[in-house]
Amino acid sequence: MYEGPIQDLIDELSRLPGIGPKSAQRLAFYLVKAPPDEAKRLAEAIVTAKERIFFCRECGNVAEGDLCRICRDESRDRTVLCVVEEPKDAATIERAAVIKGRYHVLGGAISPLDGVGPEDLRVQELLDRVERDGVTEVILATNPNLEGNATALYVAALLKPSGVRVTRLASGLPVGGDLEYADEVTLSQALEGRREM
Amino acid sequence: MQLRWIELRDFRNHGDTRVVVPDGLVVAVGPNGAGKTNLMEAMFFLCSLTSPRVSDNKPLVREGAAAGYVRGEVESLQGKVLIEVEIPGAGANRVQVNRSPVRRKRDVRRQARAVYFGPDDLDVVRGEPGQRRRFLDEALVALWPLKESLITAYDRTVRQRNRLLKDWEGKGAPAGLEAWDAELVENGCALTRARAEAATRLAPYAEEEFLHLVGYGLACKYLASVEGEPLEEAFRERLIARREDDLIRRTTLVGPHRDDLGLAVREMGARAFASHGEGWAAALCLRLGLAAAVAEELGEPPIVLLDDPFSALDPARQVQVAERLAGRGQVVVSVADESHVPKNADEIWEVAAGAVTIQGAS
Repeated sequence: MYEGPIQDLIDELSRLPGIGPKSAQRLAFYLVKAPPDEAKRLAEAIVTAKERIFFCRECGNVAEGDLCRICRDESRDRTVLCVVEEPKDAATIERAAVIKGRYHVLGGAISPLDGVGPEDLRVQELLDRVERDGVTEVILATNPNLEGNATALYVAALLKPSGVRVTRLASGLPVGGDLEYADEVTLSQALEGRREM
Repeated sequence: MQLRWIELRDFRNHGDTRVVVPDGLVVAVGPNGAGKTNLMEAMFFLCSLTSPRVSDNKPLVREGAAAGYVRGEVESLQGKVLIEVEIPGAGANRVQVNRSPVRRKRDVRRQARAVYFGPDDLDVVRGEPGQRRRFLDEALVALWPLKESLITAYDRTVRQRNRLLKDWEGKGAPAGLEAWDAELVENGCALTRARAEAATRLAPYAEEEFLHLVGYGLACKYLASVEGEPLEEAFRERLIARREDDLIRRTTLVGPHRDDLGLAVREMGARAFASHGEGWAAALCLRLGLAAAVAEELGEPPIVLLDDPFSALDPARQVQVAERLAGRGQVVVSVADESHVPKNADEIWEVAAGAVTIQGAS
């Protein structure tokens, strides 16, 4: 559609997740029109991130070195592991400061439609950690959607022989939410997980 | 429930149409291509945010226009709601209820309920089982809009499991199959139960309509792919029993995606319906039965939209259907032929070239 560098930029941007051709075009023209150091700062941030950020060899979270901040922290309980799909999920749970243990980032969820199978996830690393560190509980905090549930079921079945306690985050009504707006599936799960008062 | 007024802008062939819709039996009359069906479609679209005719938005927008608009007011026992929908040729609709944007279809659907019959419904009776599953799912959503998530969850589970089977090259079963089996059982049982409940609710009404109209019985029965008590256990057993076949055929052979709705007249399967008129009557009675079931569930009748319901019926049956439509709340009917306008119409609209003129009662 366009020629030369501008089209190259649009093509590169439209390869990013969540960016369609129209957004890519808007971003490209914004960057071209922006002051030179704005575009430069963005380019540098991308290059620096790519050079300096690694994935923790223990948990798979983003790290600035070999190990992430949490895996370096000896005060964190090694025997409780919270399993999440992506680094951003670990960050979300960490912000709530509800887990005293450590994380394990799988790197996604099983989804044949997206070509992601168990072999693409850090499942073996999880099994190794459980055995090596004498883990007593694995909390499965994959997303409460179809793919996240299938992943949790898959991981739980693999962990079963080790005898470790495996738990799954509860699903149900959001705190501060309105019963009227809950869909059928959420309501039935909330009902299944109801508690004695 | 009643649609008080509706406004269409750049919707199909309607450039700018606004009509006040009275309660009772309203009949839209006009030649083919005048825009009757489009008007009915817009009414259904306003209540459900889906077209009964097409799955894509593009044909809804008038040629040459950037976007189509439908707005209208629906009054129910719960009160009045103003629904406004902007339909761009591509991309998501923008929907407002009482001037606040809403994100989910169900936020509209639980407040505005409509049942639509159109000539394509003949396929429910005469077509493949898939058409009847679609009818069952439409009935499910019409009765309980919040249950739509059961349909989408199951559909995605089957697609995931099928892809896993299709892409598998090795020996034995692919890794992760058990996890998908567990999801299939859970989501499949939920959908089976919901469809069974929907069928149980609407079948007696549909059978009654048919008996009244045709003079003999119609048997309407949900035929689930998996049956048994407890259902989860039965499903799991069937899945294990068919696993070898699943692996060979590389697809999922058990589950509600293989359900059917059994329709039989005079001991014969409905697909073997002797006459076109009989099949047509069955299709119409299924929708009228659904409308009655929704009325029972809601405590008030839904808006009933019947596009060209009389065309395949003989004159005596046309009168019978029209008479039975009286006293059922708001019913909008379209006919192509002036002679098909029922005597008991409360208001008649003349539709021509995407414009509506109100003619008064018959």
